[in-house]
Amino acid sequence: MSGKSFLIDTSACMACRSCQVACKAWNRNDGTVTRNRGSHQNPPDFDGNTFKLVRFREVRAGNKVSRYFFSDQCRHCIDAPCKDVIDSAVTGGAIQDKATGAIVYTEKSKGAPFKDVRSECPYDIPRQREDGTIVKCTMCIDRVSNGLQPACVKACPMGGLHFGDREEILARAEKRLATLKAKYPKAQLLNVETVRTIYLVVGDPKEYHKFAVASANPGVTRKVALRRMFGPAIDALRTVARG
Amino acid sequence: MTNHWIDLRNSDCILVMGSNAATNHPLSFRWVSKAMEKGATLIHVDPRFTRTSSLADIYAPLRSGTDIAFLGGMIKYIVDNQKYFHEYMVNYTNASYIVGSKFGFKDGMFSGFDSGKHAYDASAWDFEKDENGNVRKDPTLQHPRSVFQLMKKHYSRYTPDTVSSITGTPKEDLLRVYKAYSATGARDKAGTIMYAMGWTQHTVGVQNIRTMSIIQLLLGNMGVAGGGVNALRGESNVQGSTDHGLLFHILPGYLPVPSASIATLAEYNKKFTPSTKDPLSANWWQNRPKYITSFLKAVYGDNATPENDFGYGWLPKLQEGKTYSWLDIFDRMYDKQYTGFFAWGQNPACSGANSNKTRQAFSNLDWMVVVNLFDNETASFWNGPGVDPRQVKTEVFMLPCAAFMEKEGSLSNSGRWAQWRYKAQEPPGHAKPDGDIMVELFNEIRELYKKPDAKSAFPDPILNVKLDYTAQGKFDPHAVAKAINGYWTRDALVGGKMYKKGDQVPAFGLLQSDGSTASGNWLYCQSYNQDGNNMARRDNKDESGIGLTSKWAWAWPVNRRIIYNRASLDLTGKPWNPKKAVVEFVGDVKDGKYVSTKWKGDVPDGPWYPLKNPDGTDRPDGKKPFIMKVDGVGAFVGPGLKDGPFPEHYEPIESPVKKHPFSNQRNNPVAAVFRSERDVYSTPSDRFPIVGTTYRVAEHWQTGVLTRWLPWLLEAEPEVYVEMSEELAKAKGIRNGEKVVVESARGSIEAVALVTVRYKPFKILGKQVHQVGLPWHYGWVWPKNGGDSANLLTPAVGDPNTKIPETKAFMVNVRKKAEV
Amino acid sequence: MKLTRRDFIKISGTATAGLALNGMGLDLRPVEAYSWELRTRDAKETPTICCYCAVGCGIICHTDTKTGKVIYTEGDADHPINQGALCAKGASVYQLARNDERVTEVLYRAPYSSKWVAKDWDWALKKIAGNVKKSRDASFVAKDEKGRVVNRCEGIASVGSAAMDNEELWVYQAMLRALGLSSIEHQARI
Repeated sequence: MSGKSFLIDTSACMACRSCQVACKAWNRNDGTVTRNRGSHQNPPDFDGNTFKLVRFREVRAGNKVSRYFFSDQCRHCIDAPCKDVIDSAVTGGAIQDKATGAIVYTEKSKGAPFKDVRSECPYDIPRQREDGTIVKCTMCIDRVSNGLQPACVKACPMGGLHFGDREEILARAEKRLATLKAKYPKAQLLNVETVRTIYLVVGDPKEYHKFAVASANPGVTRKVALRRMFGPAIDALRTVARG
Repeated sequence: MTNHWIDLRNSDCILVMGSNAATNHPLSFRWVSKAMEKGATLIHVDPRFTRTSSLADIYAPLRSGTDIAFLGGMIKYIVDNQKYFHEYMVNYTNASYIVGSKFGFKDGMFSGFDSGKHAYDASAWDFEKDENGNVRKDPTLQHPRSVFQLMKKHYSRYTPDTVSSITGTPKEDLLRVYKAYSATGARDKAGTIMYAMGWTQHTVGVQNIRTMSIIQLLLGNMGVAGGGVNALRGESNVQGSTDHGLLFHILPGYLPVPSASIATLAEYNKKFTPSTKDPLSANWWQNRPKYITSFLKAVYGDNATPENDFGYGWLPKLQEGKTYSWLDIFDRMYDKQYTGFFAWGQNPACSGANSNKTRQAFSNLDWMVVVNLFDNETASFWNGPGVDPRQVKTEVFMLPCAAFMEKEGSLSNSGRWAQWRYKAQEPPGHAKPDGDIMVELFNEIRELYKKPDAKSAFPDPILNVKLDYTAQGKFDPHAVAKAINGYWTRDALVGGKMYKKGDQVPAFGLLQSDGSTASGNWLYCQSYNQDGNNMARRDNKDESGIGLTSKWAWAWPVNRRIIYNRASLDLTGKPWNPKKAVVEFVGDVKDGKYVSTKWKGDVPDGPWYPLKNPDGTDRPDGKKPFIMKVDGVGAFVGPGLKDGPFPEHYEPIESPVKKHPFSNQRNNPVAAVFRSERDVYSTPSDRFPIVGTTYRVAEHWQTGVLTRWLPWLLEAEPEVYVEMSEELAKAKGIRNGEKVVVESARGSIEAVALVTVRYKPFKILGKQVHQVGLPWHYGWVWPKNGGDSANLLTPAVGDPNTKIPETKAFMVNVRKKAEV
Repeated sequence: MKLTRRDFIKISGTATAGLALNGMGLDLRPVEAYSWELRTRDAKETPTICCYCAVGCGIICHTDTKTGKVIYTEGDADHPINQGALCAKGASVYQLARNDERVTEVLYRAPYSSKWVAKDWDWALKKIAGNVKKSRDASFVAKDEKGRVVNRCEGIASVGSAAMDNEELWVYQAMLRALGLSSIEHQARI
């Protein structure tokens, strides 16, 4: 399998949030009106203008404090359940770029059932804008297909975000994991086989974020499995029914 | 910074103290992380577990305001365990100097204190001199009054137990830090310090930094790659604005501002030009007369002549014994001593200590000019909380200026690199570059003084100053940059080479004291010379192997990237650590003697020979490494400070401690305190029992005057918060995320409680002491629900040397908002 | 100034031109081979240095050649310190260049007034110059109590600014000292 992948090395993160802002800058996404709710994590969650979000967690055990910073974004699943849901509702609402493997939603995603799209995502990524469009990280497909790094990767001061050919990224991930294992025995790569955004964590992934690893049944739920089985037929039926 | 940002990667041990660099200088951590990849140890010492701590190998908590105790303990550890770099210390510092018999230290006070003047007479700490006026030395370091022995004795009181009892740092953490850092005393190891306002904003600010300088000299970490004393400056061009003398006490290039008793240029030169009889000392400031004359020529142009003392008489003179620092200015403004005020690119309503006093002082002015990009709490003070505009007489002008990408010019980063930047768009609306505003304003003022007017006071300097730096009616940064560099004012033959009138001076070695050269700032001489605009260079190749990138932009002085780099060499000019050589002497050798001077690597601190030949014989023409010091060596005992020759622990003016274990002298005896009715300082009490401090977040900058208006940043940090421990929150019944009131003896603000495991109560002298901290980025103008400045809480009390306010350690209370 | 582009990556199947990813607003064809237009493709690149902390990171401004406005800012990949990376503040400077809240007129608040009034530059600078002269003339101390020449204007103070360029700073200090000010301070003191 070729295409592109991200490596997000959380051990390097210092939560400067340049990735979060760089994402907004490239995608021309508005700032969200927020309040401080007793956390530095802001906006509180993904929203229609926030495709990249640094999540903050902190834990104290005795005298030792651990901070878990998680630069969250779409995983660009190899086999993306969100695309299946969107495809089943509307043709061309989501596409998978051949060269990179990026999953990109289009304006036609308005026609897809947002709740299903979101609930089918094992990582709780998709969000909806007021106009109904479903949105998320695009892998900066316009930058990438013109030979540039994704905006977040370029902006990271710590070299914690990497992007490149999948084989290269996988090799880098394994090498980095081996290095970190010496200091952090619990270090691991998350869902490496099924996603293009590979996270490297040094502690329990659940300490970072509820959806750091794929929830429940990564990839395929029964509903989606059914759709796949009957794929085009069901879509055709739907289209007719809606028509 | 003595070194520069990329050089952090060369370090073996990085101590971050008085700074949260990962948050406030995030790109510095690009280079810290590269050092760590190669095995460097990162240490963070801070009251709060921060983003810097989360990346550190060792984190040690300490109570705000106790850094000298912490570091004094490190000096003791280094000396007791002989971790110092002996060869470096003996040759490159004043450890061997004998201090005069008038020196004394008793119960927290040094000798020479005049209780009437409330000041020290520093001559009580002078070195002992022989009949020829040379300082007596004992290279064995055994003399009881040698600097080394006095230092050893002074810090013998700083035992781990005593230090731990006052800093609140657990003893085992102290020792871990001491052990890790003092390992850099090895000749092939380098340790560096990254500090910021967490050290300067104290009544012992300068002494905090001196304590660390002593450690760096003990360990031989000055002048080497990966070493140095590195102030992380917080404003993009605060290095440049200091270099260019926008301070009451210095002219451009660190030339002292003259005072009333110094009537002529000759007297000025006599007073400020140090001399030495030591042929091994370069004593660089012996060149001062060249720099001041060239400065005056740049300021007054052809109007500066030998006959009129180059216009020296036109410079305003300070009144001796009187200072005009930030705190003094707002104290006098509060006392109605000014009628006019410029807040040019600054928001003092939020940025200074005790902002309530500042805000009230504004209403005593007749007029105020504010230059900025956005509305702010200074410009709109007359409309602020609790202010009735109909009662405020002050006339206010808000002048809109260009943003940085709307004009061209240079700025100097913390590593002393002057970098040129370009214009990417026109300013919006009627906004203009600052340069245009000031030139146009000055021309208007000059027109008024050109007219005959009996009321005009001393028009001479206004009429004679040379400020014709425009091209096509616009401010021309190139013309100014060329004048800052310097040019020949007439044809001159120097060193066999002919220079034509109007030629750029190649470098400051050629500046003259006879008026044949003009240079706005000698330190920048070479920045824009016959080779063109060196600040605009964009060759990013690194030929040094240690990241000097010497052809990118330009660094002062003379493109030297690591200053005091001669200290990275042994006495024969060979690097202590050849693997990370900064410079190296590679002159030809004949019969064991150097016979030519040749250097490689960085620009050396002067072209002279090393102190010894390869065969070990002394060279009478060699030079000691610390060329800006009159005696050429690093100073453990420094006579120049107002608060003592050795740093000593004193409590902040506001502290939870009634008596500390080092002496009965609770506070710095010469701290700068103010006496207006707004200057209230609390004593240890139940009313304000919690230590407070202020800091910044990555997403905002200073008072937030720019960043609060940027939605991408505001969404990340939308309002003022107060961080506190779970223990304190529990004791106060405060829930995370609820609004609370933080109050000090001077003011109060509302903030969101951010209850965190990253603060833990300290154990100070056996008692539990809490600390809280707030960011100071907010203000009432915008956002509407963002809260106000944390500087409403801080005290206007300053370091005696710099007058920088003590905004990093003060006392507060915190309560639920509902309570009254 | 010469810009190289060290931040290019290798990409297989690179397209030359095609669709723009305008906030996902375009109607994309349901095929799986796309080419995407870079929105900064025709912009002019101008290197600058960040205005915030003193690390001194390089930033590239992309200016639309038709409107003359900055349309995007990002890290300068050639800059040896930041090598294209930035922090959150550095990554946000586009919003400084393009911000409707910027003050774009000279504003004047008269004594005892409750509001700002927009004025033109000429009026404002003449009025300020008059104020400066009045304050200076009234507070000028030519000699101190001991009869020594001091030539000091005591009635005006200035603070700022570490946010200005070196060339502006030098001119500003020369101007203030020509006026005779001693009360000259800025951010370095706090």
